Amino acid sequence: MRLEHWWFTAPLRLKSIFRRRRVERELDEELQFHLENKIEEGITAGLTPEEARCRALRAMGGLDQRREEIRDTRRIHWLTDFVDDVRYAVRSLRRAPGLTAVVVITIALGIGMTATPFSMLDALVFRPYPVPHPGRVVTLVSTSHDKSVDNFSYREYLDISDNTKSYDGVIANAALQGVGFAAEPGATPRVRGGILVSGNYFDALGVVPQLGRGFREDEDTVPGRDAVVVLSPDCWKREFAGDPSVVGRTIRLNGMDFTVIGVAPDSFTGMYIFSRPDFYIPLAMARTFSSNPRKDLLLDRDDRELVVRARLKPGATLELASNELALLAKNFEREYPKLNRDRGAAVRTQFQMRTRDDDVNWKFGLIFTILALAVLLVACTNVAGLLLSRASTRTREIAVRLAIGAGRFRLVRLLLTESLVLALLGGLVGIGIGYAGIELLRQFTIPTELPVKIPFRMDTRVLAASFALSVLSAFFCGLVPALQSTRTDLVSGLKSADGDAPGRKRLWGRNALVVAQLSMSLMLLAVAFLMFRGFQNSLLGGIGFPKERLLMARFDPRLVQYDAAQTEHFYKLLVERVREAPGVQGATLMQNPPLGLDAFDSVAFVPDGFVMPLNREHFTSTMDIVDERYFETLQIPILRGRGFRPSDTAEAPRVTVVNERFAKHYWPGADAVGKRIRLDGAAGPPVEIVGVVQNVVYKDSVSKPEDFVYLPLAQRPAGRLVLMVRTSDEPLQMVSSLKEIVRTLDPNLPMSETRTFEDLYRYAAVDGPRVAIELVGTLGAVGLLLAIAGLYGVVAYSVSRRTREIGIRMAIGARPADVLRLVMSKGLSLVGMATVIGLALGFAVERLMNSMLFNAGGIDVLVYLIVVPAMLLVTALAAYIPARKASRIVPTLALRCE
Amino acid sequence: MSKPNDLVQGTLDLLLLKILALEPQNGWAISLRLRSLSGDVLQVSEGSLYPALHKLEQEGWIKAEWKQTENNRRAKFYSLTRLGRKQLESEAANWQRLSSAISHVVQLSEA
Repeated sequence: MRLEHWWFTAPLRLKSIFRRRRVERELDEELQFHLENKIEEGITAGLTPEEARCRALRAMGGLDQRREEIRDTRRIHWLTDFVDDVRYAVRSLRRAPGLTAVVVITIALGIGMTATPFSMLDALVFRPYPVPHPGRVVTLVSTSHDKSVDNFSYREYLDISDNTKSYDGVIANAALQGVGFAAEPGATPRVRGGILVSGNYFDALGVVPQLGRGFREDEDTVPGRDAVVVLSPDCWKREFAGDPSVVGRTIRLNGMDFTVIGVAPDSFTGMYIFSRPDFYIPLAMARTFSSNPRKDLLLDRDDRELVVRARLKPGATLELASNELALLAKNFEREYPKLNRDRGAAVRTQFQMRTRDDDVNWKFGLIFTILALAVLLVACTNVAGLLLSRASTRTREIAVRLAIGAGRFRLVRLLLTESLVLALLGGLVGIGIGYAGIELLRQFTIPTELPVKIPFRMDTRVLAASFALSVLSAFFCGLVPALQSTRTDLVSGLKSADGDAPGRKRLWGRNALVVAQLSMSLMLLAVAFLMFRGFQNSLLGGIGFPKERLLMARFDPRLVQYDAAQTEHFYKLLVERVREAPGVQGATLMQNPPLGLDAFDSVAFVPDGFVMPLNREHFTSTMDIVDERYFETLQIPILRGRGFRPSDTAEAPRVTVVNERFAKHYWPGADAVGKRIRLDGAAGPPVEIVGVVQNVVYKDSVSKPEDFVYLPLAQRPAGRLVLMVRTSDEPLQMVSSLKEIVRTLDPNLPMSETRTFEDLYRYAAVDGPRVAIELVGTLGAVGLLLAIAGLYGVVAYSVSRRTREIGIRMAIGARPADVLRLVMSKGLSLVGMATVIGLALGFAVERLMNSMLFNAGGIDVLVYLIVVPAMLLVTALAAYIPARKASRIVPTLALRCE
Repeated sequence: MSKPNDLVQGTLDLLLLKILALEPQNGWAISLRLRSLSGDVLQVSEGSLYPALHKLEQEGWIKAEWKQTENNRRAKFYSLTRLGRKQLESEAANWQRLSSAISHVVQLSEA
């Protein structure tokens, strides 16, 4: 019935909207037809044509009223009124092009400044997984006392998969890792990104390959049996030129033949924000990709490397799933008291995972977005101020409209439509600005060969948000002026020429706007400055060793199937030959360089003779594996004891070097050298601390310093290592001779991540922070610009309204200086108020930032010492210009002008 | 909207639908028809006729077409739609129920 109704009525509504003229003409014709008939009838009855006409019109009861009644039946009033309002708005805005331009630019800046950080926040927090029904996909996490988000081991994953009922498929994947890839068996392998996934990965996620097939469930059951691989769409296009015959081909991964069985669809960019794997490989093939010969992912219950996700069954709730998993975790703890002591488990949504406490990226995104919204708020208050001053020059027009019977609501609607038109224009320009900003962010290059992408983009979600913000700001800027100007007292509005009885109330509103703007931009500037200082401080301290003239390159002999002895031999020869090369001051091997993109491994340990707290079995610390020339080559000062020596061989007593923070943390006030720790738990082998070295910046310039343990390569062999060479000249000159050395050792071995250490440093410590500072700085500068314009506007406005008053004052003897003081004091009192509020806001945000990012603590006085006087100066100037103009008013002219 | 004199509210729709159910008509003819059918009992002002017609049109109950009259003038002719026929049936049934109930009450003998 409803549908049928629409079937009949929808065309009529559309006709009324789009063929309005024609509909009106037909209405006229119809009524005319009736009248003519009526008149003819009258004439036939013996009336004169005049009389007949009169009678006909009278019978109609007012033609125009009838027309309006009929128009009402069309039920498109809201729309036609709106269209009329828009037309009117466009016309009246065209009459004030200057004002329109200023307002549009102001709003555009506000919206554009918001779009950029929002695209960041969107990518980091809100963008859903690229799979069907992403909201049902949850992450299962293991929890321990020191980690709220930990992974599961393969064995645990199998148990979870078998013993839970809340899900349609539980999937697992390991971290993205470098894989040696060769399209043909003979080709030199190159490093690409691969990811190990469970056999049901694509099925459970609902991802259907665009070519070939996904994994069968049984392809994940027998270790090492099914060497099959699914390509990512990017990889397929890049490496195979999108050739559809790739399915069935054999490619080489880490020296082993794999059969390509499918290509993932273009829509599936992977489950991670930044990284996009090239290859999806069944978990059962883990041994081919293992980086640590001491661990077996498929067997060790405590080798927790898998991210476990699951798709909730229809009807299953997060709470039920959580309870189920918690129960399972309890069972694990009972069955494996050693491995799972105090280990819980939880179910997390995508949102919860992305807003984890230990991740800084989204916090930056959030801070920027909030700051940008503050700028938008400033822009809006500014526009509101402008509209307000415009509205009061229109008092007369509005009073006339009210007097002839326009409803107040209708007038407010008209004025709001006007601001909507302005805001949408501004939004349109703003989206352009935002687009430029996002492109700027995307230019940022990440120094890695792995498939890492900058995920920020102007997509429909950012566009929708910008649009929504435009509409919102239209209301925000338009409502107050609209309400105020329609509250006009009719009589006085009509009587006075440009109606201005400076009611206390109206001025109060404008002053509040200016104070809000100024305090907001003071806050923004302070924050921008704080961030700048925060980053500067973190850079000023240096990273703990000279970063110049260092060349790095990564090797992974597993890619060419070296065994442990071959690997050791290769590295021995490599370092020897490099050290002999001309221009080399030193060369060293390590698992991961400081400031590198790969996370350091962590190591569990128990300090010998330490009474462990009841609730924990061991401590953990980040660690690196380094050779005996590490500290000497990087020039990291050894504070006490010694570094590693060639005599610290696999057979010698086990030793370690720790950083200063570690030493102070566990042996405050005592010398850590000579103390022992047990690695991998209380029963592990004792290791003697032989040296304490200075702290180094390990991750990035904003993270807090951390405990660090160095273990000697000889006692803890690793396959995938970074060679770092200290040269006497420009390090890049070394690249070709390094390549030659590697080629003579093994022409098949790929050398990756060949770059100077300064590149790494720039990325980790300079580029990111610089973008951040530039962003906030721009926000602050734009905010201040807007606020200055706002203040100038207010003072200039009040001067123009008080021209007559000032004229009188001067006529009765006020000197220009008196007038100057009068006008200035008004502006400055506003500035004063704004400063107090802005300072309070600034302190609040500073505390927030300190708790989230920097470790500075306390209040950075210098920031306020610079920002506050600077702001006072410019704002005083903004008030001075109109004030000076006021002081030059010629009394006779001023008095005559009205 | 001005209300038709002496006309029970809502019955104008019913009358119009009924008249159009007999044959498609233009506005003028409808007004003549209304007058002649009901004599002087039902006074429908010509002014309220057109808004009522347009309302029925917008409801989708009647549809309009421009056609020639007998004396070769263009006029807007209304005719009933499928939806309108249904509406007429239900309104007529309602009216029957209502009027029989009222006449039942009115005819009660005051014993």
